[in-house]
Amino acid sequence: MAFIEIQNLFKRYRKVVAVNHIRLEVKQGEMLTLLGPSGCGKTTTLRCIAGLERPEEGDILIDGKSMILGGFVQPSKRGIGMVFQNYAVWPHMKVYNNIIYGLKLQKISKQKIRERAQQVLELVGLAGLEDRYPGQLSGGQQQRVALARALVRNPKVLLLDEPLSNLDAKLREKMRFEIKSLVKRMGITSVYVTHDQAEAMVISDRIVVMNSGNIVQIGTPLAIYEAPANRFVADFIGTMNFISGEIVDMPRDSDTVYVRTEFCEKMRCRTNVIADTTLGAKVNASIRPEDVEAFTEAPHAGENLFKGVIAHKAYLGNFLYLFVTIGNSMIRVQIPHHIPQEEGEELYLFLNPEKCMILR
Amino acid sequence: MSRGNLFLTSSLWLIIAFLVIYPLSILVLESFKIAGSTGWGIHNFLEFFQDTYYLKTFGNTLVLSSLVLLATTLFGIPLSYILARYRQRGKTFFTALILLPIVLPAYAGVFAFVIFLGKFGTLNLLLMDAGLIQKPINWIYGLHGLVFIQSLHLLPFIVLSLSAGFTTIDPSFEEAAEVEGASGFRRFITVTLPLCTPTYLAGAVIVFLWPFTDWLTPLILGQIDFLPSVAYINIAYHFTDMHRKYMGIVAVVISSLVCIMLFLLARWWVERKKYTGLSKGTTSEGRVIEPGATIKFLSYLYMLFLAALVLLIPIVLGLAAFSRRWVFEPFPTYWTLDNFRVILMETPLLLQNSFVFSGLALIFGIAFGLPAAYLIVRTRIRGKDALDFVITLMLAFPGMAVGVSYLLAFWKGIPLATHWIIMPLALFARRLPYFLRMAHSSYLQLDISLEEASEVSGAGKFRTFLNISLPLLIKGVLVGVVMFFIMAFQEISTAIFLYRGGWETLPIGIFLNWHRGMEFGIAAAMAFLMIVITFILLLIIARIGGGILKAAWGPGVR
Ligand SMILES: Nc1ncnc2c1ncn2[C@@H]1O[C@H](COP(=O)(O)OP(=O)(O)O)[C@@H](O)[C@H]1O
Ligand SMILES: [Mg+2]
Repeated sequence: MAFIEIQNLFKRYRKVVAVNHIRLEVKQGEMLTLLGPSGCGKTTTLRCIAGLERPEEGDILIDGKSMILGGFVQPSKRGIGMVFQNYAVWPHMKVYNNIIYGLKLQKISKQKIRERAQQVLELVGLAGLEDRYPGQLSGGQQQRVALARALVRNPKVLLLDEPLSNLDAKLREKMRFEIKSLVKRMGITSVYVTHDQAEAMVISDRIVVMNSGNIVQIGTPLAIYEAPANRFVADFIGTMNFISGEIVDMPRDSDTVYVRTEFCEKMRCRTNVIADTTLGAKVNASIRPEDVEAFTEAPHAGENLFKGVIAHKAYLGNFLYLFVTIGNSMIRVQIPHHIPQEEGEELYLFLNPEKCMILR
Repeated sequence: MSRGNLFLTSSLWLIIAFLVIYPLSILVLESFKIAGSTGWGIHNFLEFFQDTYYLKTFGNTLVLSSLVLLATTLFGIPLSYILARYRQRGKTFFTALILLPIVLPAYAGVFAFVIFLGKFGTLNLLLMDAGLIQKPINWIYGLHGLVFIQSLHLLPFIVLSLSAGFTTIDPSFEEAAEVEGASGFRRFITVTLPLCTPTYLAGAVIVFLWPFTDWLTPLILGQIDFLPSVAYINIAYHFTDMHRKYMGIVAVVISSLVCIMLFLLARWWVERKKYTGLSKGTTSEGRVIEPGATIKFLSYLYMLFLAALVLLIPIVLGLAAFSRRWVFEPFPTYWTLDNFRVILMETPLLLQNSFVFSGLALIFGIAFGLPAAYLIVRTRIRGKDALDFVITLMLAFPGMAVGVSYLLAFWKGIPLATHWIIMPLALFARRLPYFLRMAHSSYLQLDISLEEASEVSGAGKFRTFLNISLPLLIKGVLVGVVMFFIMAFQEISTAIFLYRGGWETLPIGIFLNWHRGMEFGIAAAMAFLMIVITFILLLIIARIGGGILKAAWGPGVR
């Protein structure tokens, strides 16, 4: 059951198209993430949901009610909570007044307001700081104030625009989980914007990958990682080796295709549903570094087994990272164990056909 | 701490001591002297505050200040909001017009409105001709006129500071309020306006202090019961009457104290409350709104009204300058260049003096200002903050205080006031902050690593300054130079106490022509000439690329 429905949304700033006719549904209680490189239209989409921007075309339905085509609903009337990228905590008000600002605009008794504020302050771990001015708080604390302010009115929808991007790395990692459990506990439908793929993986029920105003793929973190829709998604989320080639054989009734690459006449790959495959099509045989297997000595010969030369070798503590050249291609390899070979020496790579997909 | 820097600071401090601290201390000392005796004491101050008349002038001045601040704020809020937030055609044009009074001398406006709004001025005559009124209306002679004329002159300061607030506060502060459910007016009152208070205060203090320094406007409007006017009259006309002279000096000291204290208070408060530091930068251009048709029309009307008032100043003065015998007629009928002939043929001295004095002051200013800016921004030499402080304080000092103190200090012991060099020296001391602040802020924007790279390459400090810093600073410095010149060229409050026969400048010529009742036309023509010269200088600034607004206001609102 869709709680937020984005229909054919189109927004441009003069000549720049920020959001290009996107369609999207957010389920009740779901935590959805808009993920993509900087400038791809995430913030604009979020601001359209909030009502801070008026799109040129399309409509947004919240809880079945049209926000645009049925008469533009002002942000103040949408009943949403929003956490801004720079927090936007009002510096001239104390923490407490920041938080109850929206409550005071509703017809609620003073007593109720105080109770509600106290609850939220405790929820975000700010109890005792209500009499401080934001200037006297750390970045992380200001961030919590912003969160408390967004949550205090029990909004139907929570919007978060890169809420963690101004925090240092350690705190950022911790806050991901805090925000997730908080929002999940309250059961608020939320849209979360980030350009950090790890953050998106942790926090989301579903991820929407965007690129230059378009939605490229929607799916659970697992689905997006395991079956990226195209080269862009595969490259943006995690790391992927791309070996360009051309489809030379497609055995019928199987999910197998054979690709001719620069160093191999017939490399076996798995098709995924998304890629439409025709004989002769230009594709990338793609495999993630952690799916490549490395052997010091040649195992019994077989498909997708190649001899390469180590160009770089780096020990990163929990794993070993290798750059291996096969022909003119550079393959990145991540293995959890040591190998005796040094840079400039040979080794064998097995590009597991089950993990080797074709992408455009 | 290098020896060169030490030498530099000592020299600058010597100059400051000689031209600022020494004369101002003499002024203060003098105010404690008891007339007719050799004694000292707070006798003069007690007398001042026990005398109902002087007490009244003090009260009047406070009332005037409050009214002017109120008027400029009430008119300034909508205007700055329009200028800062609405997407409208011709905004730059209106902005330039409405901000014009900043660079026009205040007395130009007074003369223009005396001609236009006087008893038998253009407006009254037009209204009577149309039969709308029987007797002339008193538009300007009184407190209301004073408030009107001073407010128009000071409106730009409020508008600049408020619109700086409206444009620089992070838009997400207001958006957050919007999302939280606060719409329109409420958001403006609870979030926008409070966030603008620090920048507003920077302008408000300038406005509030003005009536404590402006002696001429009340004088021309026949309203003399204000602190600076009384001080001027007591000192300039009654120098031999010891009692009145001392009351005048006390009035000057009290004005200066009020100015300095409020100035420092405002600075301290602004420092403490700066909100801009909290915003983490934003991608959008600030909140620019496309207004609806009605709002758009109304805001045009509003801008047009204020712009027309400002435009009246050069227009009326121009009409007066190119005509003769403009009395009892709404518009002049006899056109002539006579006024200019008189100025250029018979008294070219005035123009010459103005250029020579301002030019010399400017040379002093550069010779002092550049090293001072360097010391303040680039070194950690002891006493540099104090130097900065003293120079900035000159911004708040009434011109009259400088004039009177020079008169007292450089008469007997150091008889500098008998030589014309006192004129450029006084102008230099008075207008110094204008140049320094400009050089200062350009310096702050200059990345220190550019200079360090030069030093690492083997260039000495002085060579680095000449080859690297100066070329990069030159734009800001030139804008500062021209602005300094404009301000020195228009200066009257200090010069009026120091000039002697043969040292008259153009502003003094204007004053004398009005004062002796000789030729109003010539005064107007001189004021018009002044405006033209100012305009040419402003165009130069625009060419340099400083932007008129920036030049007028100085670097950033502080
Ligand atoms: N106020 C604006 N004016 C003009 N262009 C804008 C504005 N806001 C965003 N854009 C443009 O729209 C595109 C999408 O921006 P945005 O939604 O902020 O991207 P993201 O949040 O994904 O980084 C970008 O190309 C950006 O330059
Ligand atoms: Mg963004």
